[in-house]
Amino acid sequence: MSYIATFYSHFGAIRFKKLCQQEGIPVKVMPVPRALSSSCGTCAEYGGSDPCPGGEYPAEVEQVVEVTGEGYRPVYRAEGS
Amino acid sequence: MDLKKEKITIVIAGLIIGVIAAALVFFGNPVNMGFCIACFLRDTAGALGLHRAGAVQYIRPEIIGLVLGSFAMALAKKEFSARGGSAPLTRFVLGFFVMIGCLMFLGCPFRMILRLAGGDLNALLGLAGFVAGILVGVVFLNRGYSLGRTFKQPVLEGAAFPAVQVAMLVLLVAAPAFIFFSEAGAGPGALHAPILISLIAGLVVGALAQRTRLCMVGGIRDMALFRESKLLLGFVAIFASALVCNLILSAVTGQAYFTLGFEGQPVAHTDGLWNFLGMLLAGFGCVLLGGCPLRQLVLAGEGNSDSAVAVLGLIAGAAFAHNFGLASSGTGTTFAGRVAVIIGIAVVAVIACVNTFRKNA
Repeated sequence: MSYIATFYSHFGAIRFKKLCQQEGIPVKVMPVPRALSSSCGTCAEYGGSDPCPGGEYPAEVEQVVEVTGEGYRPVYRAEGS
Repeated sequence: MDLKKEKITIVIAGLIIGVIAAALVFFGNPVNMGFCIACFLRDTAGALGLHRAGAVQYIRPEIIGLVLGSFAMALAKKEFSARGGSAPLTRFVLGFFVMIGCLMFLGCPFRMILRLAGGDLNALLGLAGFVAGILVGVVFLNRGYSLGRTFKQPVLEGAAFPAVQVAMLVLLVAAPAFIFFSEAGAGPGALHAPILISLIAGLVVGALAQRTRLCMVGGIRDMALFRESKLLLGFVAIFASALVCNLILSAVTGQAYFTLGFEGQPVAHTDGLWNFLGMLLAGFGCVLLGGCPLRQLVLAGEGNSDSAVAVLGLIAGAAFAHNFGLASSGTGTTFAGRVAVIIGIAVVAVIACVNTFRKNA
């Protein structure tokens, strides 16, 4: 499985990257793909079977999608976003 | 859309935008000023009487078009979303000082590229300062800088700024007596393409910028953060196509659309240090805002009320710059303007520090 998380700030992505690395999950930060959002922020693409590493989404996470062959499947969206 | 397609799309958009920018000069805009978000917001502020510099007063249809083009494209693609609430007053202040920096240099990042494409080598100093300012901002981004999250808002909140642009268009066309327009020969404000051409140009560029997320700041920021060149390619494409168009127009018309050098450049001065520092302030402030002035207009068109507030800050900065003699001119910089840039750099640095290290404490 592959997931992409978008964030309210660049540093949120950096922190999430560290979280994934602590959990041994492959992760890279990159610009948000255009097909996913009109925002030009930073996202984290990560692997593993659980879209929520650490058991709870950090407050900086705006949304999480699963990368599928056809595009993106919504997994999580922060309240009020 | 994969990354390769995104790159091709943004290069094509950049090439089109460069042609449009050069064409606007052919149709009447000041030389090297097919687009300049800072100058055009300044002109619009003057037209509304927020400052009384008679040389720079005109409601620029390009601004109206940029916002409405983005708005229309966002609606068509179901991407219009009213959102905001992320430190709006801080964004206002950042917008204010970004404008102070831009009017020290005499142009926004977009015009900086167009000045380079017109052979104005003073813009190289501006570019160096702009890159330096962005790199300083990136240091703060990597250490935790954030103005906080945005929240979904009522549709009216996001639609208000595009609606204001419609009102501006009515004022431009109706030209009531209380709106100020630079008189012929008074200065850059008197030089403009016909309204319909400027409006269509703005609409097209606004729509393209919305689709591609074109951003003069984002290009350099993403190269620094990720070694990702996509947004930068848009930048390069605008430069390349505007340069080619300027050379063709110079050859065909015999007029000076391209003049290589430092001296005698249109709406520019030769004070390298302050060209550098002005754009350092602009680059630093724009990174903290999350995008260049063009991007703020486009985001405001998509319904982002925080960006709309940043644009209001830009307008207020323009009004102050001309009311208090802060703006440069073709004859050079002013003492008050130099002091304002130093204050601006200090204020932006404080905003960066407070919103970075406070969170980590």
